[in-house]
Amino acid sequence: MLKCGMSGSQVKVFGKAIQALSRISDELWLDPSEKGLALRSVNSCRSAYGCVLFSPLFFQHYQWSTSVKVNENDSTTSNLNCKLGMKSILPIFRCLNSLERNVENCRIFTRSDQCKVVIQFFCRHGIRRTHNVCFQESQPLQVIFEKNMCSNTLVIQPRVLAEAVVLFTSSQEEVTLAVTPLSVCLKSSSDEPMDLTNSVYSEMFVGPEEFDFFQIGVDTEITFCFKELKGMLTFSEATHAPIAIHFDFPGKPMALSIDDMLLEANFILATLADEPSRASSPQSLCLSQKQKRSDLMCSPNNNSKTGKNVTSKAPGCILRKTAPKRLHPNETQTDVPALENCGSPIMKRVNGDISEVPESSVSDTEEMPGSSYLRKFSCMFFGAVSSDQQEHFNHRFDSLATASDTEEDMNNVGCRK
Amino acid sequence: MKFRAKIVDAACLNHFTRVSAMIAKLAKTCALRISPQKLNFILSDKVASGGVSMWCELEQENFFSEFQMEGVSTENNAIYLELTSENLSRALKTAQNARALKVKLTNKHFPCLTVSIELLSVSSSSRIVTHDIPVKVIPRKLWKDLQEPTVPDSDVSVYLPVLKTMKSVVEKMRNLSNHLIIEANLSGDLNLKIETELVCVTTHFKDLGNPPLASEDASQDRDPAQMAEVHIDIRKLLQFLAGQQVNPTRAVCNIVSNKLVHFDLLHEDVSLQYFIPAFS
Repeated sequence: MLKCGMSGSQVKVFGKAIQALSRISDELWLDPSEKGLALRSVNSCRSAYGCVLFSPLFFQHYQWSTSVKVNENDSTTSNLNCKLGMKSILPIFRCLNSLERNVENCRIFTRSDQCKVVIQFFCRHGIRRTHNVCFQESQPLQVIFEKNMCSNTLVIQPRVLAEAVVLFTSSQEEVTLAVTPLSVCLKSSSDEPMDLTNSVYSEMFVGPEEFDFFQIGVDTEITFCFKELKGMLTFSEATHAPIAIHFDFPGKPMALSIDDMLLEANFILATLADEPSRASSPQSLCLSQKQKRSDLMCSPNNNSKTGKNVTSKAPGCILRKTAPKRLHPNETQTDVPALENCGSPIMKRVNGDISEVPESSVSDTEEMPGSSYLRKFSCMFFGAVSSDQQEHFNHRFDSLATASDTEEDMNNVGCRK
Repeated sequence: MKFRAKIVDAACLNHFTRVSAMIAKLAKTCALRISPQKLNFILSDKVASGGVSMWCELEQENFFSEFQMEGVSTENNAIYLELTSENLSRALKTAQNARALKVKLTNKHFPCLTVSIELLSVSSSSRIVTHDIPVKVIPRKLWKDLQEPTVPDSDVSVYLPVLKTMKSVVEKMRNLSNHLIIEANLSGDLNLKIETELVCVTTHFKDLGNPPLASEDASQDRDPAQMAEVHIDIRKLLQFLAGQQVNPTRAVCNIVSNKLVHFDLLHEDVSLQYFIPAFS
């Protein structure tokens, strides 16, 4: 159960967060806890994850509680497992500037009995606008990413990053960040040899003194999706807070984060892995060395390159409904062989506890048409874990995701102050 | 073949950026001719452009503080490159507050025009931005198609009205028909006409003035009120007008009856000539 309220200017920030997360995926999880209200989004390829956590101090008032279901012999507490379609919620937070001007108060509350989220705007001149949005019950996915353990950290003002971003056209899919202790370079990257003769290659060198914080432990070059960077950038312009970039070597995910007193935003993006010969540490995504570029990102070009027939037109827009199905017992079983080298027994054990997930499972053949690589990657990046299995999970490898089941899980997510 | 040039003056850089933006609106792909004194952006009247041709000329010393070039050979001391004009325009737009801009011809697996920008940032450290714009070197045998067009003997020459006004009128007319009649006379009148089955729309511009004619005898024969007209595709005119963001220093329209319309513009020190043929 969730009940919160905010003022007009806070609505603008809230709306910007939703807009930024819409760049990642077409679905949004509303995940309230005692830490605050988290908005989460994962793209269908599982190569990008975004979470914006608004602390209770952000709101004018904030109430949250778990719901208790009493069965015959026991009672189970469950969080609000609320998944909204971006198509429903994005139009509500359109025209943020006019919302900021006209809205005096905004209230958001849930009605679990009807699976609805109610968003009410109390506007000037006594006008009240109410939106009822139905949600799907679905456990949110989280990513556990130790961003403080990354060897490289850069903190930069959004304005500087914005100036770098204008160099690239909107058709640019990926960009590469190359760092040495002396300089940072953002450049366009392309792995299609044909593109080179048609498209402009751009790069920008920024000196260390332009960063608020500059720590480079290892010289590296990482390549990631440009669209998601832009999404984070538009949000940061609303909060006026500096952006921290945490990263390591290619293949290991990178984090873009904003840490403010009132909110914390984290975008975890997959980076392009190097050649297969690169040895990856046990902590990294075990299969990253097997991943080809085309597997990490679902862009149409890459999919056609691998000859797979994927229907999506843009990353993260296909197979929206499958996101929760990652948690389903039936599916993970077929994925298990792919995880053999990384401890598949763990996943098997985990399967048994997912019975609470309400959605019915669907056969795998419908899911990711033809792309078994994607399935491998996604299984590694996210896993469904119930609270009982937590300790086993942490033992074997530094996996990244848990279903946000209980309060202990919440503690592990990047809510670092 | 070698080419390197540098711009350090902010006004020159802005002007060059504006010229490049204008070219990007006029032609998707164009030829760039580099010669010791001049730079030319050329669109020749191939079928692909629908018979439209463009010749834009600028004196290099008005823009560049340093300019060195070596053409294909000493007899043919020029370089002809084909490029996507928007690439150059976009690269230049990122040089808003640049301390210096360098352009040079490079070969990075394939020929490129490398634009290197030194930006001044707030913290007084410089940022270096580089753009590699892919280009194609045009072989000498094709150079003959890219020479300066001969200005035809026109029947009427008239100064153009404010281009912004003309553009908004033509934009609305475009909704009615693709076929536009442009006519003018030596009394300073210019008309734009659309004739369809249902409606005729004419916009009259008066008192525009006529530039002094080259030959006196021609003017004596012609009745000042008599209109010379050309039927052209309105979209081509619209594309031309869309490229004119700033009102030019001088704008002349020359009409060769039923053959073509020739626009002769001067933007400060950059000359632009644009030819639109009549409907065949």
